[in-house]
Amino acid sequence: MAAVSTRRLQKELADIKNHGTPTGITLLKADDFETWYLTLEVLGESLYKGEVFALKFRFEPGYPISSPAVQFVVDDKFRAPLHPHVYSNGHICASILGTEWSPVLSVISVCITLQSMLASCKDKKRPPDNDRYVAHAPENPKKTQFVYHDDEV
Amino acid sequence: MVLMSFRLPFLSGDTPNVILHSTTTTAPSNMSSNREPLWYCHECNAEMRPLMAPDPHCASCNSTFVEKMENPADDPREFQHGHGGVEDDADMDQFFAGLQHILGMNQQARTRSPDHPPTVPNATQPRSASPPSQPGLPVSSGTYTIRIDRSTNGGPARTIITSGPSVLGGDPSIPRLSEFASRTPRPTRPADTIAGPLMLQYLLTMLANRPGTNGQAPPDFLQGMFPGAENGRMGDYVFNQEALDQIITQLMESSQPHPVPATEEIMNKLPREVLEEGSPLLEKDCAVCKDQFSLTTEDPDEQVIVTLPCKHPFHEPCIMPWLKSSATCPVCRYELVPQPHHHDPNDSHTASSNANGAANQAQRSSSPTSRDHTEHQGGGIFSNFFNFMTGAHGQDHDHDATSSNEGHASPSSAGRSQSPAQTSPRPSESHSRRGSQDHPQAPGAWEHDLD
Repeated sequence: MAAVSTRRLQKELADIKNHGTPTGITLLKADDFETWYLTLEVLGESLYKGEVFALKFRFEPGYPISSPAVQFVVDDKFRAPLHPHVYSNGHICASILGTEWSPVLSVISVCITLQSMLASCKDKKRPPDNDRYVAHAPENPKKTQFVYHDDEV
Repeated sequence: MVLMSFRLPFLSGDTPNVILHSTTTTAPSNMSSNREPLWYCHECNAEMRPLMAPDPHCASCNSTFVEKMENPADDPREFQHGHGGVEDDADMDQFFAGLQHILGMNQQARTRSPDHPPTVPNATQPRSASPPSQPGLPVSSGTYTIRIDRSTNGGPARTIITSGPSVLGGDPSIPRLSEFASRTPRPTRPADTIAGPLMLQYLLTMLANRPGTNGQAPPDFLQGMFPGAENGRMGDYVFNQEALDQIITQLMESSQPHPVPATEEIMNKLPREVLEEGSPLLEKDCAVCKDQFSLTTEDPDEQVIVTLPCKHPFHEPCIMPWLKSSATCPVCRYELVPQPHHHDPNDSHTASSNANGAANQAQRSSSPTSRDHTEHQGGGIFSNFFNFMTGAHGQDHDHDATSSNEGHASPSSAGRSQSPAQTSPRPSESHSRRGSQDHPQAPGAWEHDLD
């Protein structure tokens, strides 16, 4: 029997194809049910006007019970947004990706949340512990134990 | 000053404490002068003149643990520098001999030094102030001391003290650990020896990195002595970056409010309903799999609908795995079991890497008494630790004291300015404490844990 994640992701993918993605979010690549890429853009007035970011989702077989590993793509084409909750390696400190993950959430809802996180940003800067974290960060952000401290940004 | 109190899984059933401390000692020649009696600060382990109001206290560290030195028969400095009392204890002899063996390389350095006048430039010291060519004089005016206090069951306390000269870090002529460990003479560096705090640092690092950097296992006595050292952790202390990171990870994880799962009992008691024709549930979706409830599912288990107390319905095979990780409703976060809430405004935005998750798990379970003793500088565990050691003195206290040089003492100020870090065995409750006291502003900034 296929992994639980496959059935759910098939449904999400079909939903995206049938109904499209929300404004500012596009599906870049979803060739399998393990890794998806989406682009994210904050439309309207924001500190990130004109910037396009890419998000990488990695799914475990237990998805959506287990949260996806979500990070901004950092390569020769994309950069991680300059944001107090986004490390320069693309890792994101967001509670919904960790302890507040719920299987009700989906790829698109995560994208919307992150879009909203960027849109409400008032100060483009790295997390205060960026350098230390990036120096020792695991490859997979899910192995990071983030401590979430504010709902403001 | 008690710097570090090691609790070691040490030998047979005893509970020894290894106390590393250092001293800056003013020259006893001053002491014997005809001035009024000096006082001794037991925190600084140094003679000083106290401030007398409101009570006598050390002008340096403000400790009130001070003692007036008026009885020559009870000189507190005796405890500090001791008589090197090696007790007649085979175990300790073995340890001591082994330690001395390593430290003994130091003796060679010293006997060699007249041939190779220590060209060691002390960066903080003007060369003109201390002619380094003075033969036979120690380069540094400091000592470090390792004191091992050990009480046998019901027996008297035993103290072993060993000490040696200090060489300050940052000197290009000081060998690196790898050079030191290889023990290959480097003819281009006559002063290619280390001592004092650096020696200790290297020693502990090699213990922590067993087998040693040259591929040799450390001496047997060390293996038996420090069974926990192979992971860079010895008891409650860490000796390398990796081990420090593991500790940090543990701290972060322990501070992290993990979701609380539902118990079997709770899950078994949840109301279940088998779908039937006409059920109002058929209008609804399972929020986990996003499928509408249906009578025509392949999996008969999906005909069983669990409704949480918040009235949200789910396929049984969808909700049960979730409740095993978090006893909450995926839709509304209704708590079947009270969950930790982690929006502590004092928590800072931090992250710690857990690159060795499995290893950490194993380590955690195997060392439940591990204590949260870390320093806040990522790579600086040693620098903090051994800063204390740099207020150092020559190996021979009396000899050195008479030749002490003001210029040499400067490095001690760095160590001295720090408050003494003393830790004592503490139950693991600290793992579960959280809040601002445990989590100050920066990752690894656990000053508050150093109580």
